[in-house]
Amino acid sequence: MTVITGDTLARLFKVARRECRRLVSRPLYLFCMVIAPLFSYLLFTTMMDSGLPTDLPVGVVDQDNTSTTRMVIRNLDAFQQTRVVAHYPDFAAARRAVQRGDIYGFFYIPGGTTAKAMGAKQPKVSFYTNNTYLIAGSLLFRDMKMMGELASGAVARETLYAKGYTEAQAMAALQPIVIDTHPLNNPWLNYSVYLCNTLLPGVLMLLIFMVTAYSIAVEVKDGTADDLLAKSGDSIYVALAGKLLPQTLVFFLMAVFYNVYLYGYLHFPCNSGIGPMILASLLFVVASQAMGIFMVGVFPTLRLSLSFASLWGVISFSISGFTFPVMAMHPMFQALSNCFPLRHYFLIYVDQALNGYPMGYSWQSYLGLLLFMFLPFLVLRRLKHALKTYIYIP
Amino acid sequence: MSFRGKVAQGISDMFLVWRRELRKVFHDQGVLIFFILVPLVYPLLYALIYNYEVAREVPAVVVDDSGSSLSRQFARMVDGTPDVRIVARCADMGEARRMIGEGEAYGIIYFPSDFTDRLARGEQSQVSLFCDMSGLLYYKAMLLSATEVSLELNADIKVARAGGTTAEQDAVSAMPIEYEEVALFNPQNGFASFLIPAVLVLVIQQTLLLGIGLSVGTDRERNRFNDLVPISRHYNGTLRLVMGKAFAYFLVYAVVGIYVLCVVPWIFDLPRLAEPATFLAFMLPYVMACIFFSMALSVFVRNRETSMLMFVFTSVPLLFLSGISWPATAIPAFWRGFSWLFPSTFGIKGYVAINSMGATLDEVAVYYVALWVQAGVYFILTCVVYRWEIVSSRRHAIADYRRARNQSA
Repeated sequence: MTVITGDTLARLFKVARRECRRLVSRPLYLFCMVIAPLFSYLLFTTMMDSGLPTDLPVGVVDQDNTSTTRMVIRNLDAFQQTRVVAHYPDFAAARRAVQRGDIYGFFYIPGGTTAKAMGAKQPKVSFYTNNTYLIAGSLLFRDMKMMGELASGAVARETLYAKGYTEAQAMAALQPIVIDTHPLNNPWLNYSVYLCNTLLPGVLMLLIFMVTAYSIAVEVKDGTADDLLAKSGDSIYVALAGKLLPQTLVFFLMAVFYNVYLYGYLHFPCNSGIGPMILASLLFVVASQAMGIFMVGVFPTLRLSLSFASLWGVISFSISGFTFPVMAMHPMFQALSNCFPLRHYFLIYVDQALNGYPMGYSWQSYLGLLLFMFLPFLVLRRLKHALKTYIYIP
Repeated sequence: MSFRGKVAQGISDMFLVWRRELRKVFHDQGVLIFFILVPLVYPLLYALIYNYEVAREVPAVVVDDSGSSLSRQFARMVDGTPDVRIVARCADMGEARRMIGEGEAYGIIYFPSDFTDRLARGEQSQVSLFCDMSGLLYYKAMLLSATEVSLELNADIKVARAGGTTAEQDAVSAMPIEYEEVALFNPQNGFASFLIPAVLVLVIQQTLLLGIGLSVGTDRERNRFNDLVPISRHYNGTLRLVMGKAFAYFLVYAVVGIYVLCVVPWIFDLPRLAEPATFLAFMLPYVMACIFFSMALSVFVRNRETSMLMFVFTSVPLLFLSGISWPATAIPAFWRGFSWLFPSTFGIKGYVAINSMGATLDEVAVYYVALWVQAGVYFILTCVVYRWEIVSSRRHAIADYRRARNQSA
């Protein structure tokens, strides 16, 4: 082990200065470390600005066309999430409109519905949703289900009102039990909250993987690896620390930026206060860098280490479980999900910012992030050997 | 040279470029990773991750302050639905919340103490649902199961209140108008059936972008002046160069595309309602648009590996911009316009319509035409940038020649 002396610190400083010069010498670094993350932050948050999609286009096939059915359709339009954009003469035409992507679903009222309802013959109305678009389909489903209930109740309600029921009494007679939902800590069902909290760090992590692996492996390609080791007194510790510290600083700033942006500016729920999230972000940035070192240590060529980084980075979005729950994956993937820093960060976010639990609740996830920092030690010897002897092969 | 001679020369040069590009593709491990390995393995990985399609048996706890037989029946019926499993009955909300905090449950079903009293008085009674919002699928599972159970119980209660009528009258008094929900496509509401088709289409564009970028970066590094186009009689014409290369990529992606978009859905039993002719007709402009899009963008790539740093992260935003997840109608106009720059936007929408909903070319005409327009525009753009590259490499060569002559003089 290297003993830390003033001399070591001087060398560390020299390598860090060398790295800073390298970072500003190529626009590529500026792009990957600053522009690309900022662009992604902006894109995701402004794209999902509305939080919950409103006015999803739906269609109507009204083959009955009575004042009752027209009232039902007007009610559907009044829901915030749906907007009736078109009437179609028959089922086939509406189905084609769904395939064209004009509408996400439609309400189908067959001829004679009103007459049957009045004659107590229990007619049937249907609504069709397109679940190929999962979010839109689910949202419509909710409104249309409610609409079905209302349509069904409308007839009965009129009768009850006639009998002198008050509105509350009528509703109690029609719907004896109601479900009252409390989505904890995200009562608006805001999709932006649900996705951006993990998407933004995810993109940053992907870029950290790539930049870390690239900046190390490119020394071999440029033939500057000898210079790097010479400047660090032939110590791989000094070389890596000096190289990566300036990057840590930039990436951490980018991480602080999204924290301030999400919790300070956009006012996403942050029930733990911003402190734990900043700490988690710091651990997350360093864990991702450590993972990057590990990647380039396992495959010390540019091409393979970057391929590894891309694979791991892109898979992170699926396996961290913020869209599709890890619980519902194959046990093998459940175990594998622990090997992704984003998974631990996501769990910390849920416990801390979203639910406001004390940090002790998520100790396993903090420990998980810390463990990543030991990964580089497994590959240091190999990496040093590679830096000294490898010759770049395209 | 006569016009006919020129054309003949052009065509033979085009085939030369094509052969060289194909050889380059198959001799470059890096390009092979993107053109073959990634399209081969990525889709499999995704399909495996989302293999179970839906979140079943989401764990929930019950807090029952009413302690009535009706509340117990309600809880039992929720437990009986495929989406939710009751893992514990807690004494109070504090205990229930602790279980959620420890991740042992994702939701609480709460029955207030006056649950049955209110019903007896003919008032509306409430069941409260508290749900952990770390994943929307948990919320959805809880809400749907509880709603379903409440509707079923409501019907029973109403029938019981009406009292002493025939079965058919029972049904009518419970529900004067019956209604049904039908999932038109993707009936199991599966996550894989929703997301993977979009990922598959995106894989084609992204691997082309990365592979072509890599190949161009290599060309530049091998070139003395960092130019894209080598000085050679055969590389003189823009058209023969662009078409020769594009044809090489097209050949590879004709095979890769069929594997990714037909074989993978078949292996994993994803929706595949596509008519083969419709599918092929639609894929033609998509692959062409992707090729020319990638070729036009690739001029920005200066080094072999930089294409990966520049393009990989775009996959996530592009997936969202396609409107498959976040509804396209809810995307602000600016980003919607921005998304039209990418073939993947139209490719995903069209492929999903054709493959998951059985649409014909008529129904996807908008996307189909848009892809042809993109293919045309990006083809012209590619020709322009290649023309420019040819001229600049010639200029470099001439400058170099002059320098050499001056030195010898």
